[in-house]
Amino acid sequence: MSLYSRMVIVLTSVGLISGSFLATVGTLTKEQIALNIQREIEEAIVHVIPGAVRSEKLYEEKDLTIYGGKDGDGALIGFGILAAGVGFQDRIALMLGTNISLTRTKKMRIIEQKETPGLGANIDDEETFLIFWENKDCSEHLSLRKPAVKTPEELSPMEINTITGATISSESVLKIVNSALERARQLIKEGAFQIGEPDDN
Amino acid sequence: MTTKSIVQEFTKGLWDENPVFRQLLGLCPTLAVTGWVINGLAMGLATTFVLIFSSLVISSIKKLIPSQVRIATFIVVIATFVTIADLFLKAYFYQISKALGPYVPLIVVNCIILGRQEAFSSKNSVGRSFIDALGMSSGFILALLVLSSIREILGAGTFLGYKVMGPWFKPWIIMILPPGAFLALGILLGIALHIESKTKSRK
Repeated sequence: MSLYSRMVIVLTSVGLISGSFLATVGTLTKEQIALNIQREIEEAIVHVIPGAVRSEKLYEEKDLTIYGGKDGDGALIGFGILAAGVGFQDRIALMLGTNISLTRTKKMRIIEQKETPGLGANIDDEETFLIFWENKDCSEHLSLRKPAVKTPEELSPMEINTITGATISSESVLKIVNSALERARQLIKEGAFQIGEPDDN
Repeated sequence: MTTKSIVQEFTKGLWDENPVFRQLLGLCPTLAVTGWVINGLAMGLATTFVLIFSSLVISSIKKLIPSQVRIATFIVVIATFVTIADLFLKAYFYQISKALGPYVPLIVVNCIILGRQEAFSSKNSVGRSFIDALGMSSGFILALLVLSSIREILGAGTFLGYKVMGPWFKPWIIMILPPGAFLALGILLGIALHIESKTKSRK
């Protein structure tokens, strides 16, 4: 057999065997990977909308997905807004809980971030940052309080606390939230999805 | 052909030919993921899986591979196991997979793995290649654990997430940032060279 034929046969065989292996492993893990992503989203929705026991996807576009959080009776009790944008280092994705009129925040959870450890990465810390997002008046754009305060009571209803030493990360989160809320309000006006519908199930 | 015993074949990876401290291979993941011990451990285990299985396959088919396409063949085999490791982590260790980000797929270009295939597995038996891969992986895990322990303890005052420093301790945030990786690795390499020169002068 010529060298050229051997090279072609060996590389083709190795490629085919590798491809078959990967196809098998990909099929076996596909369901679990999708389940992990789904579970993470569901846990976040239940966390950011206290009282919600399940959720329903209402609308989806690039960097914005809106979920409806429902209580045990199937009534819509709030929205879980999954929004993403650019942070200081990389992409930040977050889930914000609001009431159904989009005028008040409930809670927030950071889904994805690669901000500076010890500084910007504190955006996913409950005590340092997330607690300051609870129950805020979001009927208009929220603003950032600089310099930072120590307790949520020191903030006005439409103010969010800054993380000391991580202003860009704090501003990035604020920008993502303000844009997402504005877009959600616009979508509701346009009737892009129904709200307050009684649940059939 | 090597004349080392099986034990020597394994232990050479721990110190004499340690991939990080003595050969300076695989430094990209070493520097990038060692901010936290759990990430260093997960990267070490994923690399171990890829190195062992790649070595087993390459040493089994070495006589069939024409030398002109050996590197391409090695890369296809390595990439297959890296993708399997990546999918496995995504499916069963989702949070760790998220924390490691692109560094698991980048194991494909880790010099330790391609280097061992070229230098060892393509010239030795399956058994010796397995022992060599096991030794090198253990040396790599050891290096990642030492580096990540120093960085996590000094940078956050924790080990594997558990607080190990008292309330008096003010974390050195720089240690979990990229400069901390270079500082810690530089000091460890200095210590390794010092030990080596002392050992040589005694002989």
